Amino acid sequence: MRALYELQGISRRYHGRTVLDIARLQLKPGRIYALTGPNGAGKSTLLRLLAFLEAPAAGSLFFRGQEVNFASRRSLLALRRRVVLVDQHPVAFSTTVAKNIEFGLKIRKIPKDERTRLVSTVLKTVGLNQYCHGPATDLSGGETQRLALARALAIQPEVLLCDEPTANVDVANQGIILSVLAQLNRDLGISILFTTHDAKQAEALAHQRLHLEQGVLSGEFPL
Amino acid sequence: MSFFSQSFAAAFELIWRLDAELLNIVLVSLSVSGLATTAASLVGIPAGFFLAYSNLPGRRIYITLLNTLLALPTVVIGLFVYMFISRRGLFGSLGLLYTQKAIIIGQFILIVPLVTALTIAAISRVDERYRSTAKTLGANAWQTALVVLREARFGIAAAVISAFGRVISEIGISMMLGGNIKGYTRTMTTAMALEYDKGSFTLAIALGLVLMSLSLLVNIVFQIVQGRSRAR
Repeated sequence: MRALYELQGISRRYHGRTVLDIARLQLKPGRIYALTGPNGAGKSTLLRLLAFLEAPAAGSLFFRGQEVNFASRRSLLALRRRVVLVDQHPVAFSTTVAKNIEFGLKIRKIPKDERTRLVSTVLKTVGLNQYCHGPATDLSGGETQRLALARALAIQPEVLLCDEPTANVDVANQGIILSVLAQLNRDLGISILFTTHDAKQAEALAHQRLHLEQGVLSGEFPL
Repeated sequence: MSFFSQSFAAAFELIWRLDAELLNIVLVSLSVSGLATTAASLVGIPAGFFLAYSNLPGRRIYITLLNTLLALPTVVIGLFVYMFISRRGLFGSLGLLYTQKAIIIGQFILIVPLVTALTIAAISRVDERYRSTAKTLGANAWQTALVVLREARFGIAAAVISAFGRVISEIGISMMLGGNIKGYTRTMTTAMALEYDKGSFTLAIALGLVLMSLSLLVNIVFQIVQGRSRAR
């Protein structure tokens, strides 16, 4: 099976300090990966790289067998439309919940009727349908996290990257988010990579765990 | 005390019966300052957005220059524009001196730096995550810029309101470039100065009350806009 991502000699530096240094890594499609490691290990940097939001200082990144050309805006835009990153502290656009979700759909020129249907579907999936026409900025932290997930789901990405999706939410919201992630992978075959500090969560949700220490991949553990 | 109360009573009467001269002066002020604010917004908002959003080399120098221009006195602008549009000036043949257009040009120069600087501040306050969220959802550069602009909309509206408040109450430019011609370039502030010189306080006080009411209104709108911005 062709790899979803392949990283070869990837490194990333900030202010002269190497924050990511991965000699080789392959991620397979249709799987859930948990990325663990202490704070500052380079987890978020790796996610931004896989989301094509940042370019590596050195090395090659392949997506579905094609080398990513970070110098080409056009090819980056096309790739970003296949992969979505949900931030650790997501922001909601200062408009309604429905319009937040419609954002990615409008960009893709999805017709109005289809947009309305998709918004309704994803809001039900994350359990926010009662807030559809309310201001998104009034949502709590956990609800904003669910909104960010819904916003990502609406555009039906091939890959969903989540940076600590349950780190700042209450237990009830944690349960909803984790079950949505599992459902997406099982029912829609969406590949998922999420970062976490919680080993139990990684074990419960992921097919494989990757561990980063000081930017270096220190282990791949099948779960 | 009776002089004070009589002047105020007469001024209120002028306002109450919508005195034609008073009304004309207020309308000239509103139209001139409104057009200057519109023109300054059309230039200042895109300029401020570009300076805040782009990685233009020497960006800090431009911002420093802009902040310096904020302190430019109205008489300096009046003098500067006068040199260009007076009969012997570079644009003397256009016959702009002592017209409403001249006041608009001067007021435009006065508030363009203000609108630009406040737009830069509004755009800079927008969290970087809005940009990366738009990008990861598939937005191109133009769509990402629109997201940032939308998130800064309350700050930008406050910039425009603040600029209008600045020009409606200025006197130096209106006096030097407009010439205080009755019914044509006489604004609230120049009329007040003239009435004061004449020792006739009724119209001056009436205009002062209108100007203060307008300032109050502008500030109320400003506070509402700022409040909404903070509440987000």
